[in-house]
Amino acid sequence: MVDVGPRATTLPGRGEGEHVNETLLKLAVSAGLVAFMIVVAAWARIARPVAPLDDASARELLAGEFPDRAIDSLWFAGDGAGVIGRSGEEALILYRLGDSWVARTMPWRLALVAPVLRGKVLLKLRDPAAPIARLAVSGVNPWPPQTPGEALAA
Amino acid sequence: MILDPLKPAFDPVDLAVPVFVVTIVLEIILARLGKAKAVYEAKDTATSLGMGLGSSVAGAITGAAIFGVSIWVYQTYHLFEIPMTAWWAWVAVFFLEDLTYYWFHRLSHERRFWWASHVNHHTSQHYNLATALRQTWTGGIAGTWLLWLPLVFLGFPPAMVVIQKGISLVYQYWIHTEAIRRFPAWFEAVFNTPSHHRVHHARNPRYLDANYAGILIIWDRMFGTFIPERDDEPCRYGVVHNLGDFNIFRVAFHEWMAIGKDLAGSRSLREVVGYVLGPPGWSPDGSRDTSATLKAKWRAREEVNSKAVEPEQIAAE
Ligand SMILES: [Zn+2]
Ligand SMILES: [Zn+2]
Repeated sequence: MVDVGPRATTLPGRGEGEHVNETLLKLAVSAGLVAFMIVVAAWARIARPVAPLDDASARELLAGEFPDRAIDSLWFAGDGAGVIGRSGEEALILYRLGDSWVARTMPWRLALVAPVLRGKVLLKLRDPAAPIARLAVSGVNPWPPQTPGEALAA
Repeated sequence: MILDPLKPAFDPVDLAVPVFVVTIVLEIILARLGKAKAVYEAKDTATSLGMGLGSSVAGAITGAAIFGVSIWVYQTYHLFEIPMTAWWAWVAVFFLEDLTYYWFHRLSHERRFWWASHVNHHTSQHYNLATALRQTWTGGIAGTWLLWLPLVFLGFPPAMVVIQKGISLVYQYWIHTEAIRRFPAWFEAVFNTPSHHRVHHARNPRYLDANYAGILIIWDRMFGTFIPERDDEPCRYGVVHNLGDFNIFRVAFHEWMAIGKDLAGSRSLREVVGYVLGPPGWSPDGSRDTSATLKAKWRAREEVNSKAVEPEQIAAE
């Protein structure tokens, strides 16, 4: 469903000033209503429950996103809000957005040299729809993984 | 009510705004009380509603010009004199507008240039009444409004077409819900319903590129794009490659940016045409996935799985 198309309010026929004023008033009222609905949605707390990723949940999500890929190893973000799976020469990247997940791939060799800035590894995904993934790095799980090139503990 | 052929007497979408607000709040409260199925994430909701607001601004900017073109077509030439006051004219415009919508919507999914404008509507990973308001900002630029001009050329007054488009948009609002499971079979057979449109918003390979209906699902059944919702495969909402954040400018423009990036790297006319007019996901070497390849891979997996199950069943018997 798209194309709201021409609206009655946008049609010619009345004074331009009156028309612009009415449009602006409608916009202001709509913006107020939008703010109200967002507040109600936040108050209700009816988002999907999200727990930090563990081995099973990460594998399940990755299998859903990359059903034809075998996973050699997993690296977990420090906050459990992301995971990087190695699949041959490909890095399978999954990170949390709100109560949902975003998945992309990039060459493993490029993922390995991704910079860590302010506690997060920045993975350039080369996609205008999701330009960059930021995954928390902890002391326990440093990036790049301690033994690059080798299969990591799953 | 005076029915001016060149000036819509009312705008169904404007009239429906209070209904939008009340029903969204109701859906949230019922879900909160555990009385209805609905999932709302505040930032996702903000993005959907922000897109709706932005779309009405974009509509205000391009709408007058687009409507001007249809008035120009109507006044220059139209085949028949269709009176706005005749009941049969409204019946006819109902069916013809809905058929136009079907092909507009199908084109918007099957060809990347129009997908770039429509994709925004599918970027939420949620399916609720707020998702319905996640509307395009670039429909005017994509030029899909041209598809409605033949109706005006036939002789339907421009105001009539605009009103019917509004009615269709309002109809499609209420079907964006998980709170309603299914209607009686006769209704599901004829009308677009929450169940049919959930399939349309799903990213499961099984459900891709299906159910383009506006008000009537009969067009999908006629043209072979109907896929029913299955209880054993819940819809997973969103697009194949979900967006990386909630930025509404990314929602509105990401596919246009991706087209620009691909064109900048194009090496031949074939690549230019493929990137712009090919199906979403088209690439010169086939390294990216289209709906067709995703479906083919899914079917192959299903076959492997069913073969793996069969010997086990035989062994168990
Ligand atoms: Zn929809
Ligand atoms: Zn669609």
